[in-house]
Amino acid sequence: MIKIEHLDKSFGDLHVLNDISIEYRQGLCNMIIGASGSGKTVLLKTIIGLLKPDGGTVTFNGQNISELPYEEMKRFRQHIGVLFQNSALFDFATVIENVMFPMDFFTDWSRKEKIRRAEYCLERVNVQGNEKKYPGELSGGMQKRVGIARAIALNPKYLICDEPNSGLDPETSILIDRLIYGLTKEFGMTTIINTHDMNSILEIGDNIGFLHQGRMLWQGDRKTIFDTDCEELRTFVCANSLARNIMERKHL
Amino acid sequence: MLRKFFIETGRYFLFLGMVFKKPEKWRIFWKQFILEADKLIVSSVVLVSVISVFIGGVLVIQTASNMNNPFLDRMLVGYMVRESLILEFCSTMVALILAGKVGSNIASELGSMRITDQIDAIEMMGVNSASFLVLPKVLSVTLLSPLLVLLSFCLGLFGGWVVVAVTSIIPVAKYFTGLKYFFSEFYVFYSCVKMSIFCFMIASIAAYKGYYAHGGALGVGRSSTKSIVVSCILILMFDLIITQLMLY
Repeated sequence: MIKIEHLDKSFGDLHVLNDISIEYRQGLCNMIIGASGSGKTVLLKTIIGLLKPDGGTVTFNGQNISELPYEEMKRFRQHIGVLFQNSALFDFATVIENVMFPMDFFTDWSRKEKIRRAEYCLERVNVQGNEKKYPGELSGGMQKRVGIARAIALNPKYLICDEPNSGLDPETSILIDRLIYGLTKEFGMTTIINTHDMNSILEIGDNIGFLHQGRMLWQGDRKTIFDTDCEELRTFVCANSLARNIMERKHL
Repeated sequence: MLRKFFIETGRYFLFLGMVFKKPEKWRIFWKQFILEADKLIVSSVVLVSVISVFIGGVLVIQTASNMNNPFLDRMLVGYMVRESLILEFCSTMVALILAGKVGSNIASELGSMRITDQIDAIEMMGVNSASFLVLPKVLSVTLLSPLLVLLSFCLGLFGGWVVVAVTSIIPVAKYFTGLKYFFSEFYVFYSCVKMSIFCFMIASIAAYKGYYAHGGALGVGRSSTKSIVVSCILILMFDLIITQLMLY
């Protein structure tokens, strides 16, 4: 479980996160939703320790990571798999080398074992047969899948995804969503997904937190999102025509 | 401006502190070291060779054309070409050229990795990104650059010989006598030390600028340009300091 309490983060005079408190539970697809510029990525980066909070705490299974020294933080991060918005695959490495990268550093496995594990991860995300290609030779959707394969290479306890659907067509988006959902349930990970894609929210949002101008205004799931009284969330949801239709039908 | 200078300098030394940490795995470090040596040093051989051969030839012509006095022995042309090459050209001029080639390569590579979150991805895996990415670059360039000095020196002398042989501007025998005249091995050592220090500055400054690049593609270009400018200025300043310390 990841617990966030009274989290604050500013850049100069700009208050990006204001008193955020939320819990993310194991085995669920936890989502941070909100419009662009609402502070989603800053929240995500603060949760995983890439940004230091100005106030408040982030605890992973009771361990406050904001106070961890650098060396301990490094060790702790081995339990977190991260899928970045643009996949962040290493240009200098092939697909299989990208997936093997964390194994090279943190396991004593033989090369054969690492290759076997990397091939399993690639197979799990349906990109087998592309092992020797470089990231630049792959489509956006395939890059995301390889990013997921790399993120799950060491069986992480936590999976953090920053806008996994950005730049993807609707069909590939759904495939990526289902893949993340399936992996979360299969491995019992605590998954946090940062998105503003309504389709994803409706597809896999087990636990949803709505962020607006740096404040967490609402928390619920994909079933209760249409019953909200929060005006800002209603505006956000109704920007999507499919969601607007569902909401209108519900309130008729 | 002075405050910014001190902040940047402090940040640079903190960055070096992150870079010079024990590598996570030595096997990975050596692999990276060899890759970087190939990418940064071996790939510079052609450029350095071409420039050295031509500069050697030009130095012969310029020196000979300025030594028309009949009381001066023509073998002094060879002597002066050798001294010019080893004392200044093979280290300082080659370092200035490398500041452009190697410096921009390092700064743009790391800058691109920064803006596409690749450095964050490495950090998130629990790997010290500065040490993994920068240490092999800095060490390979610093330790192997003296080889470029030796190569440049030999090829500069060769270029001079080609011009002497083709144009007969001075007798070839005189040229070789001049090359051997009062040869000091210490100058070769001095030149290699200078080159190592210059290359350490080039690689570390470029890495620092690239590692902290921001502002998209424009930011990467800006960091690359800044790294070249700062490196060139520091090379010239340190040329003066090292020369004073080692030769006088």
